[in-house]
Amino acid sequence: MKNFLKLTFGEINRLVKYMILPISLVTSVIWIIVFFLISADEAMSLAPLAIFTDVALMSVVLIGAAHHLEKQEGSIKSLFMTPVSIEQILASKIISSMVMALESFVVISAALYFIHGITFNYLLMFVYVVIASCAHAGIGFILSLISFDFSSMLGYLMAYMFVFTIPSILFSFGMIAEKFEWLLFVSPAHSASVLIGSAITGDGELWKIIFALCFLTILSGVLLRFAVYPKFKRGSIRN
Amino acid sequence: MSNAFTIEDLKYKYPDNKEDVLKGISFDVKEGEIFGLLGPSGAGKSTTQKVLTKLLDSYRGNISYFGRDLRSLGNEFYEDVGVGFEMPVHFAKLTGMENMKFFSSFYKRKGDLKMLMERVGLWEHRDIKVADYSKGMKVRLNFVRAMLNEPKVLFLDEVTNGLDPKNARIIKDMISEYRAAGGTVFLTTHLMNDVEQLCDRVAFCVEGGLYEISAPRDLKIKYGRRELKVEYRGDKGTETQIYPMDAIGRNKEFLEVLETKDIETIHSGETSMEDIFIIVTGASLL
Repeated sequence: MKNFLKLTFGEINRLVKYMILPISLVTSVIWIIVFFLISADEAMSLAPLAIFTDVALMSVVLIGAAHHLEKQEGSIKSLFMTPVSIEQILASKIISSMVMALESFVVISAALYFIHGITFNYLLMFVYVVIASCAHAGIGFILSLISFDFSSMLGYLMAYMFVFTIPSILFSFGMIAEKFEWLLFVSPAHSASVLIGSAITGDGELWKIIFALCFLTILSGVLLRFAVYPKFKRGSIRN
Repeated sequence: MSNAFTIEDLKYKYPDNKEDVLKGISFDVKEGEIFGLLGPSGAGKSTTQKVLTKLLDSYRGNISYFGRDLRSLGNEFYEDVGVGFEMPVHFAKLTGMENMKFFSSFYKRKGDLKMLMERVGLWEHRDIKVADYSKGMKVRLNFVRAMLNEPKVLFLDEVTNGLDPKNARIIKDMISEYRAAGGTVFLTTHLMNDVEQLCDRVAFCVEGGLYEISAPRDLKIKYGRRELKVEYRGDKGTETQIYPMDAIGRNKEFLEVLETKDIETIHSGETSMEDIFIIVTGASLL
């Protein structure tokens, strides 16, 4: 447990040193500026997208950036030679990705409150952000592990976004009819969007929330255990 | 002396390969010795090291570590071993010291970091980011990384590759001192000097097989030419004569040269490790 905490703090420390967390903060600051320029109602409708973007998109990009940097450095191989398990190494990386998502959630929540006086169920949002960011960390790992370098990873990410993320964003703007929403439930991004949206607005159909929770939880478990773990181990050893 | 490692009929095949990379090799590494695995690139040296350091676990055959099945050991195994990689393995945006403190924090047993950094000449550069280190500095930092936990067994892969002669000497001295203090070293290299100067025993590795496991000195005696080459100043400048080593003390011609000529050099007909490698394996080290 002590080593796991050291790993996790080491990951977060490196997020700062490698400018990944500061860059993530800059994107949050952009959202703050946008909230300054729009009305409370508009901010309320835009807030889910702001948090969703950081959870479902930025965390994937940042996991990819961190992974490919470490791949170049060979530092993961050195970690394998310490008395820590691969599971601990992966878990620490997932937690650091959650920290980035939670940082965005905290900054945006604070901005909404101080600029427009908007509040929502923070505890619920915390739980949803943790679950959604865990699933998207898994997706980020998969995209990183199947890609040769960061550029090719961005290519895979674009393809993923085109199929899963953009339709969900279009749906949230009413550009896809509700009768087609069932199709979107194969998308982890849509499940994340449903959860984040329901936490901010306080409404949302219960079955959708339960489905999204179950889907993201099961997806996280399956991805991490059966895809990320073996690929991460094999890829790190080979490099 | 007990065995640190006993390896029996070790075979390994990478998942994407059709053929075994290691084709049933057997050897042992004795506690307190420096064991060298010498071979060209792609011979299976690094794969052997990866198996012995538990990076690769789907091997066939038996490996015991101080009498215990390697497969049965958990992460506590890494408390015991230090691994020096050929390529840099550090976080480039962290300083040398930050890297060492981070890796050191995972071990129960901690070496004297200041002493290690001073010894390899990195103490004054400890607060510089690894990204700004030269290749040689990164290699030296790799060595410090391997020694962080005062390991019982040290795995070193091409440990002096990329080092200037002075720093290579320092690292070799540290390895010798480590062995003298009871440590065991498993060295993989293609560099002759490292083998000759460091190893108690060496095994030749080619295409996943092992040939001739012996002490470098014994190999030289076994495969060396038993002759003596004398260079002396003659009437027409430097002249050379070669005499058989057998009964050299009774060789009148040789003794006369010693008595009457101005000797410039005398060399026994030692064969280099590279030549011996080629004789034994039929392969080149390049």
